[in-house]
Amino acid sequence: MNLTQQLVNGLVLGHAYALIAIGWTVLLGVARLVNFGHGQMYMLGAFVTWYSVSRLGLPYVVAVPVAMLAGVAIGYVMQRVMLQLTLRQDLVSIMIVTLGFGYVLHGAAGLVFGSTGQILETPLSVIDIYWGDLWFTWQDVAIIIVAILFFALLKFVIERTGIGRTARMVAEDPALALLAGIDVKKVYLGVFAFEGAAVALAAAMVAPRTPILTSMGFDEVIVTFVVVVLGGIGSITGSYLAGLALGLFTAFFGALVSPAYTTAAAFAVLIAVLVLRPGGFAAAPGSR
Amino acid sequence: MSTILEARDLVVGYGGNRALALPHLSVGRGELVGVVGANGAGKSTLVNSLLGWSRGRPRITGRVSLGGEDVSRLPSFERVRKGLLLIPEGKLVFGTMSVEDNLLAVGTGALGQGRRAYTVDEIYDLFPRLKERRGHLGGQLSGGERQMLGIARALRLGPSALLLDEPSIGLAPRLVSTVLATVKQLAASGLAVLLVEQNVRAAIEVVDRLVLLERGSIVTEGPAAAMRDDPRIAEAYLGAHAA
Repeated sequence: MNLTQQLVNGLVLGHAYALIAIGWTVLLGVARLVNFGHGQMYMLGAFVTWYSVSRLGLPYVVAVPVAMLAGVAIGYVMQRVMLQLTLRQDLVSIMIVTLGFGYVLHGAAGLVFGSTGQILETPLSVIDIYWGDLWFTWQDVAIIIVAILFFALLKFVIERTGIGRTARMVAEDPALALLAGIDVKKVYLGVFAFEGAAVALAAAMVAPRTPILTSMGFDEVIVTFVVVVLGGIGSITGSYLAGLALGLFTAFFGALVSPAYTTAAAFAVLIAVLVLRPGGFAAAPGSR
Repeated sequence: MSTILEARDLVVGYGGNRALALPHLSVGRGELVGVVGANGAGKSTLVNSLLGWSRGRPRITGRVSLGGEDVSRLPSFERVRKGLLLIPEGKLVFGTMSVEDNLLAVGTGALGQGRRAYTVDEIYDLFPRLKERRGHLGGQLSGGERQMLGIARALRLGPSALLLDEPSIGLAPRLVSTVLATVKQLAASGLAVLLVEQNVRAAIEVVDRLVLLERGSIVTEGPAAAMRDDPRIAEAYLGAHAA
């Protein structure tokens, strides 16, 4: 076994996981909401990118923002439908509604794109790089760069800008935010739209690594769940580190033990972390 | 004195219980009106309902106007943007944000005539203590500093009317005087101020007019000087015995 190759695989996977999870991190951190349709939104992002490139002939760099716009629209509509549940923080109903939304997206995608697996090929995914014994593609490099830039930008926006301050106010106390003249409903809509865009970006970047199917999405929700909880609910830095840790763990566990048990092993780690450190890695209050 | 804040036929209920029934209440420009009463009299319900704001789910009917404009149908944040500011009892700052971020994070609308939003520097001139603590988290502040920050954030939004819910609660007597003196000063600068206060002895020293609430209704009201001799105030709240 080539350990350095596993390290590379782990780094790429880790950044992919972090990127897939970031929308949910913000959703949980700001709106205290969950979205179990997250995986299907990822699937749809992948298919919109694929359709834009393969059927419409759009360049990949144009297809990515197209997929993000579709994500924004889906996120907005989803939140619009369940806004009253959000304002009441009715988490059980929200879980069921988002789960149902996921199945609707799954069915709709099957109707539109068919049930056949597709390959999302991009100009970067077809160029292999050999470096000594190591192998990776330019798509892998792009995933790492985009993930780092996206996390850095998000951290800057949340900590240093007016939008970020508004998001933090709503995250801490939506009722008190109203007294500061904040339109909390608009913030909730914006956060869901952001989640849609973020997961679509993740799909457009990560999906070219594997064949895409309209039935996918479950693994992505599980990965997101593990990353968000390990990272500490709502913590951007925590999510990045947790994604990276999960990627490295998956790569090495798969190589050293068996890829078949990586999800089970990841959950065992999650349970251990939650028991020993209930707030996740970033347990400090208010950590970002 | 022109009326800035006015409520008519304000009725608030929680479930089937009526918490407040107020035929009329007004506060003029530059006027400081105190609302006093025992626990559960409806004082907080009154100020919260003027803004249409609550952590519960009350049913509110009646008319609230600000500067002559009916704001009854507007959501709370819109009333805030129009200049009706509430500094609630209890949690009034964002504990995980710095003092400066608490001051910067406000959603302002277009400022109407006669309204002025304080800049952060002006806030620091008014409350030098907040300048010293600008980098500290809201949750690290003392009770008095939180009151200052709550008032300061309201001033950042350019208020025309200010509603304060028990600003003296939990404060040392010296700080109570300081906070109430600041409130008096703000009213003198032209704001309409409605002050809910359980500390009647302190409140009566600064307010122009006093309203006594009991079981959700106004029992009596009048100029502070006259109310000092009202037996219902003197006996129950000032510890004096009516002649």
